[in-house]
Amino acid sequence: MMGMESMGPRLGLLAPEMVLFAGAVLVSVIGLSRSAGMRRSVPLWCIVALVAAAFVSVETWTQERASAAQLLFPSMGSFVKPMLALVGVLLVLPGIGAIDRGVEGAIASGRQAFDALRVMRGEHYAFALFSIAGAMLLCGASDLIWLFLALELVSLPTYIMVALGRGSRKAQEAAVKYFFLGALSTALFLYGFALIYGSTGTLQIAGIRDAFAAQAAGPGIDMTGLAGLCLAILGLCFKITAVPMHFYAPDVYEGAAVHVSAFLAFVPKVAGFVALAVLLGTAGWTGHALIAADGVRVAYTGLPEPVAAVLWMSAVLTMTLGNVGALMQRSIKRTLAYSSVSHSGYMMIGLIVGAPAGINALFFYLLCYGIMTTASFAALAALERSGEEVDSFDDIAGLRVRHPAVAWMLAISAVSLVGIPPMVGFFGKLALFMAAFESGQVALVAIAVVNSAVSAWYYLRLAIVPLVAPPSARSATVVSAPSRWPAICAVVCGVGSVIVPLAASRLLQASERASEGYGAGSAVAGDESGPKGSGGLYTSRLTRP
Amino acid sequence: MPSPADIGVISYAPIALLFVMAAVFAAVNIVASALFGPRVESVVKGTAYESGMDPFGSARKRFNVRFYVMAMTFLVFDVEIIFLYPWAVSFAQLEPRSDESLMFLARIGFFVGTSVIAYIYAWRKGVFRWD
Repeated sequence: MMGMESMGPRLGLLAPEMVLFAGAVLVSVIGLSRSAGMRRSVPLWCIVALVAAAFVSVETWTQERASAAQLLFPSMGSFVKPMLALVGVLLVLPGIGAIDRGVEGAIASGRQAFDALRVMRGEHYAFALFSIAGAMLLCGASDLIWLFLALELVSLPTYIMVALGRGSRKAQEAAVKYFFLGALSTALFLYGFALIYGSTGTLQIAGIRDAFAAQAAGPGIDMTGLAGLCLAILGLCFKITAVPMHFYAPDVYEGAAVHVSAFLAFVPKVAGFVALAVLLGTAGWTGHALIAADGVRVAYTGLPEPVAAVLWMSAVLTMTLGNVGALMQRSIKRTLAYSSVSHSGYMMIGLIVGAPAGINALFFYLLCYGIMTTASFAALAALERSGEEVDSFDDIAGLRVRHPAVAWMLAISAVSLVGIPPMVGFFGKLALFMAAFESGQVALVAIAVVNSAVSAWYYLRLAIVPLVAPPSARSATVVSAPSRWPAICAVVCGVGSVIVPLAASRLLQASERASEGYGAGSAVAGDESGPKGSGGLYTSRLTRP
Repeated sequence: MPSPADIGVISYAPIALLFVMAAVFAAVNIVASALFGPRVESVVKGTAYESGMDPFGSARKRFNVRFYVMAMTFLVFDVEIIFLYPWAVSFAQLEPRSDESLMFLARIGFFVGTSVIAYIYAWRKGVFRWD
């Protein structure tokens, strides 16, 4: 039975999640207050909870606690949790003024009395906090049940957020699509987890790693385990909008309110990549060995071949289909949805390269991606046209004339998303491609670079249409959103895309903590020294028997 | 040592007796009402019984969403009770005032606390208002 002693360090590590839970409870009750001022303070409390969680996650994280919790990546939370909380603060801002707009307007003008059943601001922000707390919980997952429950905690609130965010039928259609496909993906990775359990006989992540290492040292990881891993990867592809589970992204991002799309583009993605890193860490990269035909023990620094092949194909298809899909869109939100698909493809390279370099680069990229993509969604949220969201390229033509700040932020975020040098997107891609290049994934890097070049076409359209094109009849009627906060968020993220690179080396160092301690206490020790693998999908090298 | 058959069959005897009693009770009621009951036939008496509702019309009626919200709230507390039973049974077996029993108490306290929060939320939201 788990007593106080084993619970202690874990409870300490869970402090940020508890802060967010308390914040969610507070926010959901304040949102039902009779006083309009109290209801307006909901986003503020939400931000307070997130900042407190970021602070607590840095303050309570200690090396001893992390290693006592027996995690595969003991230090991952020390980078991922503050990142989630701080980008979470930015994600709160675009929704201010948009949620409950009609109801609050009617109450203010006296046309309607306050009815607790009709307002949903508190719920919306509470669900956002729950979802972020779920993503944080994933960092501490020590067994598959925990991993599964945390993944569900990330997803379930987002289904409701899609339906609540906007009163239109499109949002409801998007929510239903998102929910059913989400249930399908859950079934897939749950089946995968069951097969992994069947193959290894344990639910503990560390135990699974040891069981896979033992299998790999003998006849190799068995078919049940490999099938389980592949199914789990496919299920998690839904969370990161990777091929073949990407097809919901454009419809859902388009149907959901723009501030919800911004949330969907970041939080579930972080959750999916954390879960994938933990799962793949059980099956390979380092700490595994196998017996070659001539009886020599071979340690490999890579993933089992079928798993690596699945990831490789998925990564290439994800970046290619994402970029090709984005080229053909008329809607800005659909373009950004396909752009988010393609960025997942780049980030999957980090998973293939593996710990430590690939995983570090992946989490650094997630941070950069969070800033740039939030900038573009927030810029869209800052505008409206006859009470509707701005969503076609026609609407933003010549935006610089009447809304110069928003136009510039849209352009900056687009240029950053391509990965043009002074911007944050460049440093994310640089770190990722360098890690891939050093581990010998030359083909992947080449495909990713070609893809980046293709993506320049539609990203530059997003930059040139508002800045250079003449205003159109539609764009003349575009006005600012009722709240200043989405625009402020866009400016913060846009300026951040330019300023953050100044701190890139410090942030890269911080992200290097993500995989610190990975492989410590692994079943097959002693293969940390020596050169990295020489190339190919499945690099192996000989060690002294 | 008694044979497995002895224990097996005899231990199920009360259940068999229950079945016999149920069958006899039903049979006696049907026979007795057929023998002694008065016979008054009418159209209303001949219609299907549906808890006092008129059994005609489409079954696809729209229910007030309040029923649904109520059912959801009921479910929260129902599930809560289900978890309290096994907790109470195992808590009685722990050593009083030990660390483990305090941990148990703290856990169920947290669990009940979350339902209290759910209750406060539902109350503020107006779930229990029926007008």
